[in-house]
Amino acid sequence: MGTAQREGLVALTCLEAQELENIFALLLLGSFVGLPAPPGFLAVELLPYMEREIQVLHRRAEDAGDMLAEIAGTLGID
Amino acid sequence: MKVLFFTGKGGVGKSTLAAAAAWQLSRQYRVLAVSLDPAHNLGDVFGVTVGNGGTRVSPRLHLREVDLRKLARDYLERETKVLAESYHYLRVLNLDNYFSILKYSPGIEEYALLTSIERTLREEDGYDYLVFDTPPTGLTLRFLALPQVTMTWIERLTAIRRQILDKRHTIQKIRGGAKEWEANREIRLEYDESGDDILKRLRLLADNYKVLIRRLQGEECGVVTVFNPDLLSLRESERLITGLRELKLPLVLLIANKVTAENRALADRIAGELQRLASGAAVASVALNPAFTLGGDTPLYEIPEDLTVHFGGGGEDHV
Repeated sequence: MGTAQREGLVALTCLEAQELENIFALLLLGSFVGLPAPPGFLAVELLPYMEREIQVLHRRAEDAGDMLAEIAGTLGID
Repeated sequence: MKVLFFTGKGGVGKSTLAAAAAWQLSRQYRVLAVSLDPAHNLGDVFGVTVGNGGTRVSPRLHLREVDLRKLARDYLERETKVLAESYHYLRVLNLDNYFSILKYSPGIEEYALLTSIERTLREEDGYDYLVFDTPPTGLTLRFLALPQVTMTWIERLTAIRRQILDKRHTIQKIRGGAKEWEANREIRLEYDESGDDILKRLRLLADNYKVLIRRLQGEECGVVTVFNPDLLSLRESERLITGLRELKLPLVLLIANKVTAENRALADRIAGELQRLASGAAVASVALNPAFTLGGDTPLYEIPEDLTVHFGGGGEDHV
């Protein structure tokens, strides 16, 4: 199987994984945007390891306006 | 090792009775009395100044006062250091010290309090009894609830985390082995459960909390509620008892403090009401001595009864 086909296969899973990372970061650090947050120290406790999750969170926030298009693209809907 | 928490509304005499109980227990057992109240006065009761490492009042009685501010500061400093290490490249730009702002995070004091209790329970195994003098009701209930609230969060977060790793694993399998550019540790994503730092940290926290909850709800632990014969004290004690029941923390003794000849009837009625609410916990009564004068010989309180009988360990040979 070629690289392109393999990429096609994992695209949806990649999106799912990223969304999960996004949710994880949002749950843990949600107090910054006014969500009810876990006990503050839990966020502090895990913060040192959250670099990637915060990046994903950030990117998701930037792309938020065009999420439908992105999902359509991933699912191959024209 | 048995653990006792003295709780109640501010000013009802928690510290005094915690001190009395610790003193009575220390005639037979090795006792460590820890003051968690920011307005430390456990030392005042014994007429000593409690130093940093604690103070020995008698060969079998030790006092310790916990400095919450310092605990919170130490904890955040530790976290800040880990953070600065993870983002070590910031040091090149001399920006790493900006994390120090974390020192001012709110809500950390309760956590520091809990951590301090947890550490005391874990490290102090040279004593038969640990007596905690707690801060006023609100904060006490909040920090006693903290392990269970936190456990819920940790469980949920762990579940999400495992799902993330599972997905990464799937992706990894379909894409095949690590490509050359992925070999770089910075880019390669962790998909193995034993290699993920966040999951490792979550598991460690979960283990600590499980142990703590088991100990707090266990046989070895008991809560003593002190109240005065007045309405405010009754209402707050009711809230406390209900709160303790929700948290499944065992209430072992109710103490009516500052009872005089005039308010005895009221004290008995309040005690009866609280006892019904607490499904039959033992009640003790401590009299306030009306003949007390400052500097005189008469004691302020009369503690006629040996409190230790209520704490299980006393047995038949108590003093």
